Parts: sequence; C-alpha cells; structure tokens
Amino acid sequence: MEKFVFFGGKGGVGKTTVSSAYALKCAREGLATLVVSTDPAHSTSDVFDQPFGDEPRPVEGHDGLDAMEIDPDEAVDDHLMETKRALADQVSPAMVNEIDKQIELAHQTPGAYEAALFDRFIDVMENADEYDRVVFDTAPTGGALRLLSLPEFLEDWIDRLIEKRTTSIDLYERAAIGDREARRQLDDDPIIARLRERKEMFEFAGRTLREEATFYLVLNPDELSIRETDDALADLAEYGLDVGGLVVNRLTPEPDDDEHGRGGTYLRERCATERERVARIHEKFAQPVVATIETRVEEVKGDLLDEVAAELEIAAVATASEQ
Amino acid sequence: MTLADRIASYRDLIEKWLHGLYHGMVEGPAFELIEKEAEDTDDVFMLACFADAFGIPSPISYYTAELLPYLADEFAGWERRLWDRGTLVERKGQQYHF
Repeated sequence: MEKFVFFGGKGGVGKTTVSSAYALKCAREGLATLVVSTDPAHSTSDVFDQPFGDEPRPVEGHDGLDAMEIDPDEAVDDHLMETKRALADQVSPAMVNEIDKQIELAHQTPGAYEAALFDRFIDVMENADEYDRVVFDTAPTGGALRLLSLPEFLEDWIDRLIEKRTTSIDLYERAAIGDREARRQLDDDPIIARLRERKEMFEFAGRTLREEATFYLVLNPDELSIRETDDALADLAEYGLDVGGLVVNRLTPEPDDDEHGRGGTYLRERCATERERVARIHEKFAQPVVATIETRVEEVKGDLLDEVAAELEIAAVATASEQ
Repeated sequence: MTLADRIASYRDLIEKWLHGLYHGMVEGPAFELIEKEAEDTDDVFMLACFADAFGIPSPISYYTAELLPYLADEFAGWERRLWDRGTLVERKGQQYHF
C-alpha cells in the first residue's frame, strides 16, 4: 500500500464517506493518518461532526487520525500579498501602479484557484513526514483529474519559458560587443532561478503521484457513474497513474423473501437491476472491486462510519512494514 | 614637428576614421541586429508569461505573476513595444539604415 491514497469519482457518489471510512480504518490499525479534503464543497466536517480548517488537526474521538480541508482562497490571497510585497521591494513606486493591475488580474483568473489548490496539495505531500498514510478526498472527477494532469503540463510550459529566456539572455550577452556590459546576465537572472524552483516543485509532484500514490474510484451502480468511471480510468492511465481498485457504493439493501408489498417489490426490482450492473462493473473493468457498500438509512457518521470501514477490503496495514 | 610625428598623427587620424567607419557600417548595425533579435525573443517570452494582459487566458499566469516584480521594467517596455509595433516589416526594417 502506498503512502498517498486518493479517492475520486463522479459528484455525489460518496467519496467523502468512503475516504473518511478508509482513513478511520487506517487509524484503527495503528497508522498515523491524515485525511485531506480538496473538494471546494467540503463535507469532511459533516462526516465527523466537527469543524476542520486549512491546517491538519486531530479528529476528536478518533486516535491517530488528523483531518484538514484545503482552502485555496486563502492561498490565493497569501500569494497575492507576497507578490505585491516583492513588487514594492523591487520596483520604484511610480512603476508599482502599472504592474499592480497585472498582478491583480493574474489572481482573478479561474486558473488561479486551481493553481493555489495544486500548491497546497503539493505542500501537504511535502510535509507529510509525520504521517504513515495520507488520504485525499478529491473533488469530482473532472476537476480532480485536471489537477493531477497539471505537473506534466506545467513542466513543459516552464521548460519553454526557460528556453526562451536563456536564448534572449544569450543574445544580449553576444550583443555586448567590446567593453559594453550585457544588459542581462545568465548567472544571476532571478527569473530563471524562480522558474527552475517552480519546475522542481512540479517534478516532485509528478514523481510522487506516479510512484507513491494509489487511486481508488468510487461509483454507484448506475449508468452515468459507470460511464464516468470508464472515462476517468482512461485519463488516469494516460497520466501513468496507478488505480488500485473500485468501490461500489450505495447498493440497495435486499428485501426479505416474505416481503411482497409495494416497497418490497420496488426493492426487489431495484436490486435485480443493480446486481446486473455490478456484474457489468466486474466484467468491464480490469481493476478489482474492493468494496460494495449498501445504502444506510441515515447519513454515514459516527458508529456507522466504523461499519462502512469494516466493509472496505482495502488493506490498510498489510504492507506498512514495506514503507 | 618632425616628419615621424606628422606621420604618426596622420595615422592616428586615419585609424580613428577607419574605426568610426567600421563601427558605423559593421559593429553598430551588428550590435543593433543582435539586440533587436534578443528583444524579439524576449517579447515572445513575455507574451508566453503574460498573455492575459491581452485578454488571452493563461493557465500559469498565477505562477508568472510572481516574476513580475523582477520583470517590471521590461514589462512596461514590452507593453509599449507591442502596442506600437505597426507591422513586422516596419520592425524588421529598422535595422537597415536607408
């Protein structure tokens, strides 16, 4: 079992429940566990009935379990302030106004939110030494996958920027004929240094995701989520990420044989359809189904979470010695 | 003034003129040419970094924004150059002194 475990899937299939239950299971088996919610609509707090913030904090009532909810808005603000501070240090006041607008603009693009989320998420992975297992409850498929494809994409982009910058500096150096001092020099260029730093960060993220992470996809026995899982698996394979298995959640409980009322009939038919779909899931996907979880009457919280955790056939501790 | 001195000062004068001529015809234009090329490459770099300044959404403007404090002087110049650059021919033509 890898150190970083991701749960993904379509919206509303129960990723938070499954990832919280899994984190609880890990903690019960003696691993120092952190559960991280990256979904902008956080619901970890609801599952454990207590508020969490942007920093990891212990979950009350469960030993060895910490939780956090990433808040990218705060990260965007911090980044904005930091950049502005650097601007004030570097540039004459007359210039500040002109550039200020551009900096503000960059922080309002839709990409900013994503980038900040990505930064925080790398941050969590970098500073996870004290934990044996970090469980990520990701945003619904589309967003989460885009996030995971970022390292490769950004690395390429940064490479191009570094190359362009190097060429232009090289030309400036060559243009410095005779005693003229080059307008820019390669060795002490702060831009290239910055870009390299960022590139290293992306490389770390890409490497960690490929080598130290396992993904589980959560789905319900319905057509839409089966189809979305299919797409998600194709995308994950394309990014070279390893999928450990599928969790089928929200199965309808079967009625007893003597129940023939309206409710009983409905449930019996519903179960038959779902059984056929679960069979299709088994057959269609190469990844093993690691758990099938029935719908509960109530929201999954408290003791119910333990029950769900017990149903997960994902080994928590089996290979803990490997780490 | 001896003959030798006169020859020497005459040679100095010729050397100065020749160097001026060389600088005007070869060195200067070459320098300008390379520097223009460098500026052009720089412009491409800036555009890749700050495409959103022209309304093109850029996925990494969040990251390149942190370069702005160091690029401030260049940024203003770049914006000016882009707005003023009439045509590519005009820009490329500047290096020939007709």
